Amino acid sequence: MTGSRAEDPWAELRALPMGQGVEITDAEGRRWVGTVIPHHELSGDRILQLKLESGYNVGLRIGPGISYRLQPRPAPTLAPREPPPADRPRARGAQSVTLLTTGGTIASRVDYETGGVRPVKSESELFEFYPDLDADGPVHALPVFDRLSENIVPEDWPILAEAVRGSFAAGSHGVVIAHGTDTLGFTAAALSYLLPRLPGPVVLVGAQRSPDRPSSDGRSNLRAAIRLARSSEVGEVVAVMHAGLSDDRFAIHRGTRVRKMHATRRDAFHSPTDGPLGYIDEGAVHWRRPPIAPHPGPAVVDGPLDPRGALLWFYPGLSPAQAEGFAHDRKGIVLAGTGLGHVAATHLDWIRRAVDRGTVVAMTSQCLAGAVDPYVYATGRDLVRAGVTYLGDMLPETAYVKLLWALGHERDVEAVRRRLATPTGGDLSERRLPEEFE
Amino acid sequence: MRAGLEVHQQLRTGKLFCRCPCEFSETVTGTFVRRLIAASGEDRSIDPAARFQASRDLLYRYEVTPTSCLVEADEEPPHPLDPNALETALIVSRMLGARVVDEVEIMRKIVVDGSNTSGFQRTALIAVDGVLEVDGRRISIDSISLEEDAARKTAEAPGEVTYRLDRLGIPLLEIATAPEITSGREARAVAEEIGALVRATDRVRRGIGSIREDLNVSADGGRRIEIKGVQELRSIEQYVEGEVERQNLLLRIRETLRQRKAKPPAGDPVDLTDLFESMTEGPLAARAGRARRIFAVALPGFAGLLRSPPGSSERLGRELADYARAFGLAGLLHSDELPGYGVDEGRVADVRSRLGLAPEDAFVLLADASEARSRAVAESIARRAAQAIEGIPGETRDPLPDGRTRYSRPIPGRHRMYPETDVPPIPIRPADLARIDTMLPERPSELRSRLAHDYRLPDDLVRQLVAAGEAARFELLAKRGHPATLVARLLTQDLPPIERVSASTGAELSGEMLDAVLRASERGLFAKEGIPAVLRELAGGARDVAAAAERAGLSGLGDDELERVVREVVGRNRALLAERGEEAFQPLMGDVMKVVRGRRDGQEVAQRLRRAIEQARAGMGA
Repeated sequence: MTGSRAEDPWAELRALPMGQGVEITDAEGRRWVGTVIPHHELSGDRILQLKLESGYNVGLRIGPGISYRLQPRPAPTLAPREPPPADRPRARGAQSVTLLTTGGTIASRVDYETGGVRPVKSESELFEFYPDLDADGPVHALPVFDRLSENIVPEDWPILAEAVRGSFAAGSHGVVIAHGTDTLGFTAAALSYLLPRLPGPVVLVGAQRSPDRPSSDGRSNLRAAIRLARSSEVGEVVAVMHAGLSDDRFAIHRGTRVRKMHATRRDAFHSPTDGPLGYIDEGAVHWRRPPIAPHPGPAVVDGPLDPRGALLWFYPGLSPAQAEGFAHDRKGIVLAGTGLGHVAATHLDWIRRAVDRGTVVAMTSQCLAGAVDPYVYATGRDLVRAGVTYLGDMLPETAYVKLLWALGHERDVEAVRRRLATPTGGDLSERRLPEEFE
Repeated sequence: MRAGLEVHQQLRTGKLFCRCPCEFSETVTGTFVRRLIAASGEDRSIDPAARFQASRDLLYRYEVTPTSCLVEADEEPPHPLDPNALETALIVSRMLGARVVDEVEIMRKIVVDGSNTSGFQRTALIAVDGVLEVDGRRISIDSISLEEDAARKTAEAPGEVTYRLDRLGIPLLEIATAPEITSGREARAVAEEIGALVRATDRVRRGIGSIREDLNVSADGGRRIEIKGVQELRSIEQYVEGEVERQNLLLRIRETLRQRKAKPPAGDPVDLTDLFESMTEGPLAARAGRARRIFAVALPGFAGLLRSPPGSSERLGRELADYARAFGLAGLLHSDELPGYGVDEGRVADVRSRLGLAPEDAFVLLADASEARSRAVAESIARRAAQAIEGIPGETRDPLPDGRTRYSRPIPGRHRMYPETDVPPIPIRPADLARIDTMLPERPSELRSRLAHDYRLPDDLVRQLVAAGEAARFELLAKRGHPATLVARLLTQDLPPIERVSASTGAELSGEMLDAVLRASERGLFAKEGIPAVLRELAGGARDVAAAAERAGLSGLGDDELERVVREVVGRNRALLAERGEEAFQPLMGDVMKVVRGRRDGQEVAQRLRRAIEQARAGMGA
């Protein structure tokens, strides 16, 4: 094909397929030779992005006075994917682990069309990033979702729990779930309630840096998670992530206690009230507290969830009318109150009305660490009298997930309240030790 | 021959993708360790250079300093590109008459030697097609880019490299010339002129390591080789010419190998440990308590080609040894240097017969504890030897202090670049360029002729001033009435070594401070010879000029004290005076100045000394 004589070649150029070789002659007569790459979503108007021979991308403004010539298509820019080797070496005697992928950074790659990252969609794509995934024993990868975790909804949690149950039923010793970090804590809590009796470890893991970066924490987190999934000491849902900035130490957090506490750091995950259950150092597991032991029988899913619950963060200026509107069609609402578990006295009226209507209202602390206590201040005493259930040192997000689980199991309001307040999967503790707050 | 230059100049604007200062630090507030993996880029292929680095499986330790933040630790996404750094790059682009891109796209260049915590260096092409006139020749400027400097290596141990994060992220302005340079001398002149040009912006860092050059050299019929990170301008000539010599040697070796119809060596190492069991001396000797094995690799057709030919310092044997070193092996012995190193003729013959070699064949011997590593090394040596039949392999080479270069890694391909998706593209509009055009500083050539004319300075001093980027400080001080020649020499000769000290202590010597020191000297607080000593104390952290003068031992030398020193020296040297008369003045002056240098003016001291000598000789009855 030859060049264009169009007065303004923008319409033609923007329609060129990715990878098309093109020579642009700009208004000053300078020639630019490169291949067309997808328009960055934040790129400017009338900017054509070219990848030059040097490997650099540049943006050129296209308008009248600019001409172009198509170049023969170069060799395909996408190298064919190597198929995963059929017979990867498998260590003898090692227990098999199922790796469930849900999307998220740990299983995402840069999408050059949008400039963002997108989840991988197959086992082979995953092994492309993590070729030594099964170096210490068999690992079977099974994509369940391919979503960034902000797009995961409560309806997904029972599906994931079912996949875990199926993995154990199929003979897996442990299950690793690769998950986006944004809502990893919610899923960890949900699985803790949905899978009450586990024959082995269920380890959630994520990455704060995508695996197409040489510095991704995904690989080392995943290795640590797989190692823990082969433990015979663990019968509960945990999360394994970096314990600090280094690639050689990982923290093990209880599913009902864990929370993402930093937007960007590798060690974003904390158990705010009592610290992690243990650490993995140089491959060896050290427990700070004993984990829940494996259950001898098969895994069971203790569903369902009722999604008609909500979580409301109180703040100075929150209007009682808005809060009531937010709560009115909910069967239950968890409040993240201030300090010991307070909201402004102006909210007492709507809370009383909600409780009278049969809505469960529960209280947690937006301090995240430490326990709520209604009896220290008058506001707390008023809230208890209004019928609010105080949930000790349970995390607000965990309480919300537990509420959905309790609503799914009980019809009676009192039974829901009892279930909420009953320690389950280590979500509440009676004792908080001086050295635990991290 | 043809050579091109890439000049990398650190800016002192602010770091490129975070808001940390462009300052080094000796304070380490913590460390962390990482491993890097060679990730695949946009098109799923792994760059050869990246694969090579990753194959070495090193642990990287990073030192956190107060001049680094979560961005350098790769714990936070990059912030928007520093507008000041971009402005500087645009200014230089326009000074070079280059075509600025319409939209700047930030790229990631994969570098997994640990010098970037992320495993890539962020870089952006700013402009292309400039031109620079050097000594009447027009040299094309291929590209002007802006990139992040790497972390600086502070320690290396087996399996582990330590880097400090203070340098990581400092903006580097990269200016690449076309391969149009035709001699080492011209390469140096071009580097000097580019240095002067970027310093004219007055937004660059100074001191050792703040400007680094990569040299691309190819001899006629040779191949493009990159020599990375030359820090001293005066070595450029030597590296360029040395590389041409090396390539010419390799081309001659290729001819011989082709005549001999040499085939690529198989590279299977043969275990000959038994032959060397009783060895007691030389690099192959068995040492008590240390397991080691000796492997031999046959190089058919290579006899006589591994040693240096007469008159050359380069040799193929060293090239092979450099490949072994890249794998962490101490080195190797080759048959052209044997017998020797404790290996006698009998053993050489044994090796030859065990390998079944003909007289035209060569071999190398490696000693190492690890068989796996020996195999990897043998393979890479055989690969390198096979390349000798093809000619010159594409390599990145490190400059060594002795003027030679050494293999460091394969030349990177274009696969190592992919978009930095965390930073949006930056449009450059015609209005932006119009604004930049109002900010362009004087070009070095204009500046030189003006300084020579206005201040009547000699040409070489003007050239040095401009090359050092000191025109601005010079003019500030000269306009305040300080003697032009004194100021120029101070800035170009006395100050650079002192500012190296201040760069490490963080005590900046501002133009105002230099002014204060000059004024103090002119007021007689100390002699002009004492200026460097006072500046050194200021760079070392002295509070003010008076304190610095006192710390330098330069203040408070009164007439009485001077008189006492002069008399003491004269008294001590009566014998010399009697013997040599007035000729004794020079050695005595030397002795007096040892005590009073910088504290009193030299002429005044000489006057007093002459008087004292006269009096003494009169007393002796001479």
